[in-house]
Amino acid sequence: MSSGTEKDIEVKDTTEEHSDNSENTAKSDSMSKGEAKKFYEEKGLDLSPDVPVKPKPVPIFEKSLADKISSKFGDKIRVDYVRADRIRVTTKREDIVDVAKFIRDELKYDHAESVSGVDYPDSSEIEVIYHLGSYTDEKLGRQIFALATRVPREDIPNPGSDTTRTPSLRDVFYSVEFHERECFEMFGVYFEGHPDMRRLLLPEDWADIPPFRKDFKIKGR
Amino acid sequence: MTTQLPPGMHLETVDDKIMTLNVGPQHPGSGHMRLIIKVDGDYIVSCDPDPGYVHRGEEKMAEYRNYIQNIPHLERPVIHDSSNILYPYCLGVEELLGIEVPERAKYIRVIAAELNRCIYILYWLAIYGIFLGHSTMFMWPAGDRELFIDLLEAMSGARVTHAYLVPGGVRNDLPSNFEERCLRQVEYFEKRLKEYEAIFYQNPLLKARTEGSGILSRTDAIRLGTTGSVLRASGVDFDVRKKEPYDVYENLDFQTIVMKEGDSYARSRVPYLEMFESCRIIRDALKKMPKSGSVRTKLKPNPKGGNDEVYRRVESGRGAIGYYIVSNNRPEPYRVKISVGSFRNLICMPYLLKGEKLGNMPAVYWGLNYWPVEADR
Amino acid sequence: MSTIAPQFRLSRFIGSLFDLIFWVILIFSLVGLPIVFIVLFYIKLPVINNQLMTPYLAMTWMADPSRTLPIVKSFMHTTIFKVMAFPGFGFAALLAAATIFVERKFLAKMQLRVGPLYCGKIEGILQLMGDGFKLMSKEIIIPAKADKPIFWLGPLLFVGAAGAFVSLIPVAPGWVVANPNVGLLAVFAVIGFFPIIAVLTAWAANSKWTFIGGLRALHQMVAFEIPLILSLLGVVILSGSLNLSQIVESQEHFWWIAFLPIGAIVFFITILAELERVPFDLPEAESEIVAGWLTEFSGMMYGLIQLGTYLKLYAFAGLFVVLFLGGWNGPMVWPPFPQDIITQGITIGPVTAKFPGLPLFDQDMLNGTLWFVIKTVGVILLILLPRGVFPRVRIDMILHTGWYKLIGLAFINIFIALGLLYAGVLGPGGLLQ
Repeated sequence: MSSGTEKDIEVKDTTEEHSDNSENTAKSDSMSKGEAKKFYEEKGLDLSPDVPVKPKPVPIFEKSLADKISSKFGDKIRVDYVRADRIRVTTKREDIVDVAKFIRDELKYDHAESVSGVDYPDSSEIEVIYHLGSYTDEKLGRQIFALATRVPREDIPNPGSDTTRTPSLRDVFYSVEFHERECFEMFGVYFEGHPDMRRLLLPEDWADIPPFRKDFKIKGR
Repeated sequence: MTTQLPPGMHLETVDDKIMTLNVGPQHPGSGHMRLIIKVDGDYIVSCDPDPGYVHRGEEKMAEYRNYIQNIPHLERPVIHDSSNILYPYCLGVEELLGIEVPERAKYIRVIAAELNRCIYILYWLAIYGIFLGHSTMFMWPAGDRELFIDLLEAMSGARVTHAYLVPGGVRNDLPSNFEERCLRQVEYFEKRLKEYEAIFYQNPLLKARTEGSGILSRTDAIRLGTTGSVLRASGVDFDVRKKEPYDVYENLDFQTIVMKEGDSYARSRVPYLEMFESCRIIRDALKKMPKSGSVRTKLKPNPKGGNDEVYRRVESGRGAIGYYIVSNNRPEPYRVKISVGSFRNLICMPYLLKGEKLGNMPAVYWGLNYWPVEADR
Repeated sequence: MSTIAPQFRLSRFIGSLFDLIFWVILIFSLVGLPIVFIVLFYIKLPVINNQLMTPYLAMTWMADPSRTLPIVKSFMHTTIFKVMAFPGFGFAALLAAATIFVERKFLAKMQLRVGPLYCGKIEGILQLMGDGFKLMSKEIIIPAKADKPIFWLGPLLFVGAAGAFVSLIPVAPGWVVANPNVGLLAVFAVIGFFPIIAVLTAWAANSKWTFIGGLRALHQMVAFEIPLILSLLGVVILSGSLNLSQIVESQEHFWWIAFLPIGAIVFFITILAELERVPFDLPEAESEIVAGWLTEFSGMMYGLIQLGTYLKLYAFAGLFVVLFLGGWNGPMVWPPFPQDIITQGITIGPVTAKFPGLPLFDQDMLNGTLWFVIKTVGVILLILLPRGVFPRVRIDMILHTGWYKLIGLAFINIFIALGLLYAGVLGPGGLLQ
């Protein structure tokens, strides 16, 4: 087992993490950061964000939900943000099943809307985000709970046989079944404990790397 | 000798009594997908959906184009419902870029979305009719759909792929006589809908065939994470337009259609009844809309999002469509994930078809409000 | 300036015309005339004006065209004419073609469409011909592991069986191809062939869809043959005959549908099922099993099956008319043939032409045919109507209908017929007979 599996998620301040990402992504592209800056300057564009940073008040109801989960798990989870109708929580992959069970049983979220993978080649990680919603609880109708975890990423992927794996939430939320299959073929994240981890959308004879990773380039772009 | 198969591969055991049928991709009753169905006599033993024949990597393509360039190609998965699949993208990008939308544009977006919902449901109903062998029900909705296509053509200039909704509002203002024309056509359309009721929904053969087939209970509908008409036909009162109203839906007068039966008949009837509600919304929106004003907030050229992410969803003809957009200070989104109703309802298919008769397969399959191209993205 | 014939010369054109005429005359006199004479020597020729038509006399039609009429008339009473043209194949195929056209326009009007519009200028009347040519010109594809002889034989057998069915239907008094005394039994025997053909071709095509479709056809047809036979027993009991012509004659005063409406309804439903028409088109349910047992047919093989289907449609509608709607019976509406043409001939200026063979058809026959066609077209339209109204049913529903409900209704129908017979109201020696 490589050291990558043991690597913990670095708990950072949100703004720091994002600025890290932006620098790294610019580097990872075909042009370096300096080139990119030059490219945008030539076009008369600035690289500063367009969005004016406005502090928004933290909504009370969402805050109470976030407090509930952080008081239960403490250090194991990190609340990334609490906004109107949206909460995002990051956890380590070892704890994700427990956290998911708590979210289902105590917070009354009952289904998954989507399972997204996001590839971060620079920190050598793939983020898996479960967007959870609720049909049964009237108050949670407009809420989306984003539960994220990070799995190590290998430069030469071998889907299913490498360290890019995480426990499946299929037994907790039945509705993630096909979403996890899609995430497996598109990012190479193997979900342990999933009963039917086959390809879904890609053809049977697909022999390239998982196509939604950042190092899979579209031709002509 | 057993060989270790790589993960993702599997060997199939063959039974003499069981016949495997490949329904699709070249099959008049499948669309662009394949259902691997095993039948024992006339009963379906198992069903394994195999989508992906029209997977175009819309999400990957979106990472290479900036926020404005993404508009036309993101509506390609559902060209019949193009306003609704663009709607959450526009909402999300507006939230990312901090854009305020003019009041009039919000109403126009709602009207475009509801017209598009009618177009989609009529198309869906047409196919539902021909799937059950009812050729009149194929021709009537396909003909009446032209009314709304003409309306949207007058609004946007294109018949099917409108690209009408853009971040910041809508592309252009309404034509001059639009309001009167729209009201007239909506009135005519409601009359036609009542004729559909007589020939299709009250048809004794249709009722005998679809009532009680493919029952999805309320608990299972929630557990399987279904959405849209499938969910509401199983008795769950959930509509994003009501629960999480976007734009001006909270000002408008309509109600959610819920049926308790959860069978194929209920699933076919909920979208039909929703068209009445769509007509109500269109009427109401036309009444409450500001008569003049700006319809579009101009964006900066090549706008960039901050280091942020956003998840926005709307109710489309097939259920909730959610866009998860991650941005990282670049003009292009870092990652776009589209969570579509068709893909979420796909999971019901093996569940509902197991133990069902082969003759019920079209009714159950198409009753799931499943659009293969959208599910593949 | 046209570029089709840039080297056009009028003299050459006229010269080529003369060439053509020369060759036609040469070939006709050297080859055509001998063939005509050889044929005429072997054909039994009629007696006209107490004079046997010899080949030499027959050739006098060249001098006196009116002498052809007796030949034509005698030819019309030969079996070959009956089989090929009038009550047989030609007439039925013409009606079937008209049926297809009417079906398409009729359905289109129901569904707020226009249907075929362009081919043939008038409401797309030649569309069918175009489709026929298209089918003929298409490639016939045989599945790789098909049982080829049976697969080839299937469409031919189907058309053959449909043709045999058509030949049993009497159109006018005396105008029927085959008139056996057990005509109705012969009809049942011919109907029994269709499921066998369906299953044979379905198996031979070596495809899962055809196999399922064939089995469905078999189940459906067998389930509906029994109520079909039972529903017709009432008519047999009351008319006391199995001969279709005699059944028609027994309805001179009243139609059996007046006394046996239940039998007529049961028979009509079984017709829909036997013809695999909506709502009983399960063997061809395209959204479930592609095209059922017709999946692997292509080109003219499919065309033949379609032809057979429509012949069958005509034959079943005709059978319904014969058994329940009084066949050719109806008030005399056909005008009589003008008597003075027979006696005096037609005077055109100085010439008086006499036509010794007129009239070709007698009044009864034309009137009977007219009524038969009117009734048959009405029944055909009724058979077509459900296609625009009903969805398809499921196989278990159709079998339940066939085995339980229709058989029960058919027995009720038999009891009604027996009651009428033993009460002495109807039947041989009854009050109303």
